[in-house]
Amino acid sequence: MNIVETSGLSKTYRSGLFKRSIVHALTEVSLSVRKGEIFGLLGPNGAGKTTFVKILLSIVHPTQGEATVAGEKLGSPSIRERSGYLPENHRYPAFLTGLQTLIFFGSLNGMRGKALADRAHQLLELVGLQDWKKVKIKRYSKGMLQRLGLAQALLNDPDLLFLDEPTDGVDPVGRKEIRDLLTSLRNQDKTIFLNSHLLSEVEMISDRVAILNKGKVLKIGTIAELTSKQIEYELLLDRSLDDSIIEKLRPHLLSLNVEGKKLVIAVETNVELNTSIDILRSKGILIESMAQKRTTLEDSFIDLIQREATS
Amino acid sequence: MILLTIREAVLRGTLVFYFAVGNIIILFLAYALDVSPENPSMITFFGNPILPKNIGDTNPVDFVLIQLQRSSASSILLFGVFAVAGLIPSMLEKGTVELYLSKPLSRTTLLLSRAVGASAGVALNLIYFAVGIWLVFGIKLSIWHGGFLLSFLFVCIAFLFYFSIVTFVGIVTKSAGFSIMFAFVYTFFSSALESRTKFLYQIWNNDIYRTTLDVLYYITPQLSAMLDNSSRVIGKMPFPPEQLAQTFDILPFVYSLLSSAAIYALASYQFAKQDF
Ligand SMILES: Nc1ncnc2c1ncn2[C@@H]1O[C@H](COP(=O)(O)OP(=O)(O)O)[C@@H](O)[C@H]1O
Ligand SMILES: [Mg+2]
Repeated sequence: MNIVETSGLSKTYRSGLFKRSIVHALTEVSLSVRKGEIFGLLGPNGAGKTTFVKILLSIVHPTQGEATVAGEKLGSPSIRERSGYLPENHRYPAFLTGLQTLIFFGSLNGMRGKALADRAHQLLELVGLQDWKKVKIKRYSKGMLQRLGLAQALLNDPDLLFLDEPTDGVDPVGRKEIRDLLTSLRNQDKTIFLNSHLLSEVEMISDRVAILNKGKVLKIGTIAELTSKQIEYELLLDRSLDDSIIEKLRPHLLSLNVEGKKLVIAVETNVELNTSIDILRSKGILIESMAQKRTTLEDSFIDLIQREATS
Repeated sequence: MILLTIREAVLRGTLVFYFAVGNIIILFLAYALDVSPENPSMITFFGNPILPKNIGDTNPVDFVLIQLQRSSASSILLFGVFAVAGLIPSMLEKGTVELYLSKPLSRTTLLLSRAVGASAGVALNLIYFAVGIWLVFGIKLSIWHGGFLLSFLFVCIAFLFYFSIVTFVGIVTKSAGFSIMFAFVYTFFSSALESRTKFLYQIWNNDIYRTTLDVLYYITPQLSAMLDNSSRVIGKMPFPPEQLAQTFDILPFVYSLLSSAAIYALASYQFAKQDF
């Protein structure tokens, strides 16, 4: 079952004097998120990722299109009851401590008394802020605020978690901790919707991703579907290859590229790689180094965006 | 939400400042006021009897209390609005508003509890001050005047109605500066409308203009009329002598209830439409 389902969702912002400045933030976005997966929405800054999440939470009204979240139509308060949200650039009342912040936002969630206090303490521990809970948040660093925001989003034990750039400003160790936390949440059957412009982050934990650019979805699929299947290797040889050897290699390879002593080949499996090495060795060529060039999501992402720009 | 709003107002410092000033005034009055040893209905100020003139048949004690109530109510109200006018825009700040809106509360509930919280912050100050003065009169002068306390209740209600204007401007402009400025302008506007027959009517002898003024008077909270009438709870108004109404009139409160309800509804409607 799909927990988020949108069809033809569009948003045009009108701002400025007499609403003359127009931004098409989203154009006909149709996508679905399955229950229990980590879904990554990827795109450069200004692609419309934040707008998309805000529409699902009724913070922004769509110009066109429809959507359901957890089976409810947009605008239903029960969507917000069942969701947690970590906005990007969130700001909390600076005069509260971390604990007070959670208690306050928990009470807006309709939680009360001891149950709320227990939950707040438990979450502060979960995000590693237990030693800071009595400190005013104006003294928190960006990374600590991000952790607090994550705890805030988890207060109501949501089925669906919207995270907008969750690792923004967090150091590498913190990022790893957040990733582990998200993975463990997924294992508890929560659905996580992740907005990010950091591809490598999303790649590490997402089950499926959509690539958004200038308000349009360019591609949706698993990481494996979005990255190409070939494996590339870069070999450094002791001499440049002559044409006869190149012609011998070519039938075994998906692609081949020679630059002086450097040879870049693309193969389907390591069987073809080893065949190629055998051919080179039989001609007495020495291999000085060899490295695998993985095609990452980033490569295919940049490739997609560039193709979009030229077409 | 209401409690947090009060807390935020307190932590912003301005309300605390007024609170401190209020305390000093109460202590000062406690020291300065006394009753004349010969005549227990004569109040003295540093030993000098207060002998009000031209007060018609108004009781002199009532007169002193009315003076006190008028000056303190209008100043706490005005400074109070400075202290809390920024609370509506501060809820709408980028990064904060998203958090509020992602909660299951409706936007109307959010907005109204914010407005009520802001008003309650000012009301706390008003009531604290009123009770302080009331105790000074009761304990030191043995004058227990219930009407004095009651009159401040009306001032609190007047503030809640008046704050509808500030809320609306806050929602539309999202600027604390504008909200404060407008609140200030509105207090003058309201007293000008209140006495429109004497002044604004004279500017231009035109029926449409005069009707417009009348309409404006009735569709906006009648702050100045409400304050005047809250004073009349204490006793007969002695001034100005030619003014007809000397006794309490509930109508300005009824009109203002209706107009401020409409303005709050309009503000909620605006808020519901907006993107953040
Ligand atoms: N409230 C708004 N008013 C006008 N334009 C907006 C507003 N919010 C976002 N935009 C514009 O919409 C586009 C998409 O923004 P956003 O959804 O924040 O993208 P992303 O999160 O992918 O960086 C941007 O061009 C941005 O300037
Ligand atoms: Mg964004």
